[in-house]
Amino acid sequence: MKKTLYILFLILAFGLKTWAQEEKKVTFNGTARSLFYGDKLTEDSSVEDTITVPRLNSGHVLVDLGVNIRPNKNTEIQGMIRVRNDYGGFWGSGVTFDVRQLSARGVIGGIVRYQLGDINYKMSRYTMWNYDQELISNTPAVFRQQTDLVNYDHFYFNDNSRRQQGAAAEFALVFKKYVKELQFHAVTTRVKTSDFSATNDRLFSGLNARLIQSKYFQIGVNYANLYDIPGTSRNKSIFINPVLTADYKISYSYKNWEANLNGEIGKSSTRYKNNTEAPDWDGRLNELNAFIKENKYGVSLNVQMKYVGSAFRSPGAQTKRIDFTGLPLAYSRITNEQQLRALSTMDLMRESDMYNLQIQPYLMAFSPQYDNITPYGDATPNRQGYTLTLGYAPKKLPVTASVSRLAQEEVKGEGTIFPRVFTRNEITLGTDINKFFPAWKKTMKLTMNYRSDLTTREPEELVRDVNLETSVVNLGLEIETIQLLDLLVGWQEVKYKGFDYTAIRDTYSEIYNFSEFKADGNETMRAIGLRYRFSDKTNLSFQLNEYKIRNEQDLVPQYKVRQFMLLFLMKF
Amino acid sequence: MKYTIYLSSLILLVFAGCKTDDEFDGPALNDLYGQFAIVQGLSATNYDVDFSTGEQTTFESSFSKNIDWVLEIKGLQSGAVKRIEGFSNLLNVDNATWNGTTTDLPMFKQESCAVQLTFLSETDTLRDTLDVVGARINEGFVVSDFETGTNPGWNSFVQTGANMSFAVQSTIPAAQGNNYFNIGGTVNWDWLIGLINMPASAYGGTHYPLSENPELENFNVMIYKPEELSNGIMLFQFMEDDNLDGVFTTNVEDMFSLEVQMDKNGWGQYSINYADLQTLINGAPSADIGNGIREPHKLLQISVLFLANPASGYANAYLDYMIFTQNGILEP
Repeated sequence: MKKTLYILFLILAFGLKTWAQEEKKVTFNGTARSLFYGDKLTEDSSVEDTITVPRLNSGHVLVDLGVNIRPNKNTEIQGMIRVRNDYGGFWGSGVTFDVRQLSARGVIGGIVRYQLGDINYKMSRYTMWNYDQELISNTPAVFRQQTDLVNYDHFYFNDNSRRQQGAAAEFALVFKKYVKELQFHAVTTRVKTSDFSATNDRLFSGLNARLIQSKYFQIGVNYANLYDIPGTSRNKSIFINPVLTADYKISYSYKNWEANLNGEIGKSSTRYKNNTEAPDWDGRLNELNAFIKENKYGVSLNVQMKYVGSAFRSPGAQTKRIDFTGLPLAYSRITNEQQLRALSTMDLMRESDMYNLQIQPYLMAFSPQYDNITPYGDATPNRQGYTLTLGYAPKKLPVTASVSRLAQEEVKGEGTIFPRVFTRNEITLGTDINKFFPAWKKTMKLTMNYRSDLTTREPEELVRDVNLETSVVNLGLEIETIQLLDLLVGWQEVKYKGFDYTAIRDTYSEIYNFSEFKADGNETMRAIGLRYRFSDKTNLSFQLNEYKIRNEQDLVPQYKVRQFMLLFLMKF
Repeated sequence: MKYTIYLSSLILLVFAGCKTDDEFDGPALNDLYGQFAIVQGLSATNYDVDFSTGEQTTFESSFSKNIDWVLEIKGLQSGAVKRIEGFSNLLNVDNATWNGTTTDLPMFKQESCAVQLTFLSETDTLRDTLDVVGARINEGFVVSDFETGTNPGWNSFVQTGANMSFAVQSTIPAAQGNNYFNIGGTVNWDWLIGLINMPASAYGGTHYPLSENPELENFNVMIYKPEELSNGIMLFQFMEDDNLDGVFTTNVEDMFSLEVQMDKNGWGQYSINYADLQTLINGAPSADIGNGIREPHKLLQISVLFLANPASGYANAYLDYMIFTQNGILEP
């Protein structure tokens, strides 16, 4: 009897286990959201605008439904479709279906990991890196809610990887002594498809080999190349842009101290074969960081010295997220003259159409008033200098602070032999106020950030001087009022004033003209909202937002937009 | 400690090359946005220039930035115009030297000239004057410039039409010098208005003193077309003595032609390389008659015929400065 029961128990247990394994082969994941905007435009003008409709309501409901299939322990397939219904569209006419993701990944022979289809990939900051868009760092949480939606829709992840379509593979060798590990990564993605006429197929390929000698030393080689495939169209001009870099890191720690020396050195080459009109670019880069930290008091210092040549071109790192040549959809034209409204910080926060998905072979346009110093992130060409960053993050205090100073100048002057000089001072503070009071269990976070940019160049005898200032202030507060209900408050102000000459580049990124850029204005966003967290993955938010802009150089008068936003977001 | 020194030295070495470039990217801002100012006014190195002896004159000026400029020299008697253009911040021997040549006919002669310097994007104008004490002499064999009238060794034929003109004149400024030859009239029964035969013997030789290489020789002529008339055709016939017997035998020896439709109002220069001459029959290219070889040194006679459609009414043209040049067409 006992034996029978034992056997029955085994059968039952095995059966349960098998059933559990079969259940995990297919899982569902995704996101659902409902978003509503109610906007009201008010113009500060002596003449009433009788043409522009002041109130705009917009929004949508969408579901990203993903299926994750694991046919065996070495293979995973992820597919995701998006169903979206914009408000105002009836079923069948306003609904769009889209394949949002299709990918497969797995392990071959237990050694090589591979990914096919839609993949997220990154390499080093100078080869393949998706830098954040302007003004997003240290943005208060109340504004981040909208920016996060845009980032999610465009596959911009916190790890700065790029969503590409292609294939990737990686494997590693582990050693017993002298060297800890040797890693190899490779990727090839399709950037542009041929039209069989004037556009060649364009691919991006990357290789990375990394030697991790120990926890003290590692070195890597990165190769990235954006190139055309000859013969895929009638266009004989072939674009090729390889970038080769080596990065290294030397680490050491002793008691409460840790330090590391890391950097990257490399070169780039840009060619348009069979095109005598196009220039050849050969650039180089050199970055060195020295970091030291005392863990007991949480004080750290980082010194960065860098050199990025004016001819350094790395499409994988220099492609921007925002296309500043675009126009906003909301209130694209205002005033009785129906003047075009320029892009503003409000549009950067929520205007999805302005964002770029694909790697571009040229230096994209940027907005000098928002960021004239690092428009292409760390990979911005024609910069040399240093950055000092002092950090404070004690273990025993719920406070983080950092102060940084950037001092750089151009490697090569633009339009003159005299280089422009750039300085940036930034201070960031963050604190969990509630942690000062142990009895206070609810969250209360305060974040502050101030950034001040200055671009200068001394005047020449007959050419006016350059003096462009930008300042950004961010203040954010998150207060958990009652259980799971957060009060969010935020304020952001961007001020810009001054003058600079901005380069006008052709399709080969060669400067062929300059335009006078005058800035005098400020943009203020302030918002208050409530967010109820049903769980870590589900929340309902509403916020009232007021955006004001004054731009003396714009043809449109000062105006403000009041916005009501309702957002339901669920991840599963 | 020594590792610190090594590391510091390495860092310094790595960033030692980080100096600012002496060149710059893009066009000069000074050229685009710099304020324009005349630094040095307009002047010439030679105000009494004798081009006949090979003299030249150089114009000098300087400005605060690179700019598009036009230097124009106008003959106050001939109306000849020389135009020099450039983009720079100064005028000097490299870009503003005048050797007596012309841009717009007629050619300069011994006369006073007005000089003017203007700028494409500025309203400033600089002025000066100079004198041409000797007109430029072009190298080559001058068939005629009509300065001493017609060559007595020529022979001509003029139709007996109405309003016929067939003489040397100086009524309007000539293309070169003072005189030109006026051919015109109304002939309503024939294409031919008149012709001039210019045998080599008129120049004291059995053949024209030209080289054997047809690619070396260029025929140049200046023709004036009145603005209101478009019916005239000037035909030049080059008769070669293929067998060197001193006589041109029709339908046996080569006769090459140049037909000028006169598409320029006023004075115009028409030039052709001798090797490009064709055999024309009634204005249409045809097979060569003689040995088919262009032999300038065997040129026996040049005939100039002025033609017009008999139904087209009055036709008129002026003829001046016929010259053979070597190594390129005439630079007037």
